[in-house]
Amino acid sequence: MFDKVLIANRGEIAVRVIRACRELGMSTVAVYSEADRAALHVRYADEAYLLGPAPARESYLRGDLIIDLARKSGAGAIHPGYGFLAEREDFARSVQDAGLVFIGPKPTAIAAMGDKAVARATVTAAGVAVVPGTEGEGNLTDDELIAIAPTIGFPLLIKATAGGGGMGMREVNSSHEMLGLINAARREAEAAFGDGNVYLEKLLINARHIEFQILADDHGNVIHLGERECSLQRRHQKLLEESPSLLINEALRQQMGEVACTAARSVDYLNAGTIEFLVDKDHNFYFLEMNTRLQVEHPVTEMVTGVDIVREQIGIAQGKPLGVTQDDIRLNGWAIECRINAEDPYFNFMPSSGSLAQVCPPTGSGVRVDTGVYSGLQISPYYDSLISKLICWGDTRDEAILRMRRALEEYRIVGVKTNIPFHQRIMDSRHFITGEFDTRFVEERFSMNETEDGLEAMPHIAAIMATLVNHYQTQRVAQIIRQDDHGKSGWKWAGRMERLEK
Amino acid sequence: MKYIATIDDKTYEIEVNSECEITLDGKSFSIDFLPIASPSIISLLLDGQSFEAHVNPTDAGWEVFLLGQRYLVTVEDERQQRLREVSSVQAAHREAFQLKAPMPGLVVAVPIKEGEQVEQGANLVVLESMKMQNELKAPRDGEVIGVRVKPGDNVDQEQVLVILD
Repeated sequence: MFDKVLIANRGEIAVRVIRACRELGMSTVAVYSEADRAALHVRYADEAYLLGPAPARESYLRGDLIIDLARKSGAGAIHPGYGFLAEREDFARSVQDAGLVFIGPKPTAIAAMGDKAVARATVTAAGVAVVPGTEGEGNLTDDELIAIAPTIGFPLLIKATAGGGGMGMREVNSSHEMLGLINAARREAEAAFGDGNVYLEKLLINARHIEFQILADDHGNVIHLGERECSLQRRHQKLLEESPSLLINEALRQQMGEVACTAARSVDYLNAGTIEFLVDKDHNFYFLEMNTRLQVEHPVTEMVTGVDIVREQIGIAQGKPLGVTQDDIRLNGWAIECRINAEDPYFNFMPSSGSLAQVCPPTGSGVRVDTGVYSGLQISPYYDSLISKLICWGDTRDEAILRMRRALEEYRIVGVKTNIPFHQRIMDSRHFITGEFDTRFVEERFSMNETEDGLEAMPHIAAIMATLVNHYQTQRVAQIIRQDDHGKSGWKWAGRMERLEK
Repeated sequence: MKYIATIDDKTYEIEVNSECEITLDGKSFSIDFLPIASPSIISLLLDGQSFEAHVNPTDAGWEVFLLGQRYLVTVEDERQQRLREVSSVQAAHREAFQLKAPMPGLVVAVPIKEGEQVEQGANLVVLESMKMQNELKAPRDGEVIGVRVKPGDNVDQEQVLVILD
């Protein structure tokens, strides 16, 4: 039984895992790159060791170094978080071979679900419906993919077999554009996962992305913690998640939950995992893929079920039975998560890096912020753009939305562009409030520049703000020019202008 | 000092009378103006009503984020406005467009060549940053008159990548 855990990750998820360990009375070991010496996970952990230079392949992807550090520091287990090494079968196996515990599924399950083509074949054999595509065909060449595409029908998706997070994914509408898109997808998949293999899948129109959280222990218990609605995406990157989903009633929840557990059992699953489904407007649902790790959006499930998923993960890894049964699971109230990214929603969501001059997160009843940043920290271009996750809980969905509006308005981040205005606009969107959205909503029917009805515009206040800032700057310049003229400007005036110039 | 602030063709005449009073379109308001966080968060009490906004300088004027909305505000004093009115009779001159890197990154692809005519929205450079491949596009039609990078180059923020005539 281990009592010290090494966290092989960075950012908010490393902090999240450290917190769970702390609360269980376990010691924590952080690892970090040269870009992350000042990061919160390094500051919060009991021990911290340098891995190497900033690029992930020289630091957070160095499984050999990480295992070495775990041994030297006396950590008995490694938690991989999400991304980086979390879904690498070879890493999970090396951890086991080193006599350490991998806090996650068995390597065989990672392999079976990690190759998306194999995963689709496996769950099909267990009687689970999948989205039509090239499952069971093995790795195909460009020519074979182009030949098979018309038999599936357009539009379709090219997806990386080792994929996740929307990387190595392209949408295709006709045969003649396929070759270029296959090349782009292979290039991106090769860079992200070291594996350029791709497969094809039919693109369902008006579909919702609904996923089920699974927990499985070593004593034969497999349970689900209900669904998460993840349809609000851009370029296949999730932006906002909620639990439960307006689309799912109790009967459908039970049915999909059981199918999710069946899919997990088909690969002898252990620990926390997520089964992703696409659901069409007639409530037909299809298995999309299984994520064999902790998800970014796990907090919404925690908020409505009261289950600490990371604590359960650690318990499962210690060989304990689950702390809850399926009958204990009730979805209480509503939770929404907004992913706060360093990106500019007014400029094609371009990532933004720089120094965080000020960070002042919202607090108060029903508000949770999972983050790895603070004022003064540098957002580097080496890793993903997630700054924090803002999660709000309410008795009802309406209450959760009102609380999220309040919290977003309070959130102050200065120094990089963020997508907070995007989330504010979503919270005001009639389509979102009434639940009329699907996976294409953000890209096809949403604009940052259109004003929705009912939004109070205050251009005159904006005009006054800009004019005053402009005025004080002009005054300051004028004052520098006539330095001998102290006049009656006084300390207050000078102090204000100094603050403006900082 | 008197200013003209413009948002989407609508103008506001604002006079800063003193540190604690302004006039907006002929009506006076008491103000208390306090920068909260450098460089850009401003707290404003306007006749007792409390407002807070992010105010950032951009090439196109001041960008103001207020209550979940973004406003682009240009501010001129009377003298600047008169000057502009005089000079605006001169013909608009189209300047060359320089595509600059919005952030540091690795150039993955440059799918255009010097001398090529591109249309608005054409992909000029693919830049990998923050684990994402970002397609940098042409803001308008034009001829490519300079290509300053090649795939594999590491570029800094604001570095010029491609120039359109």
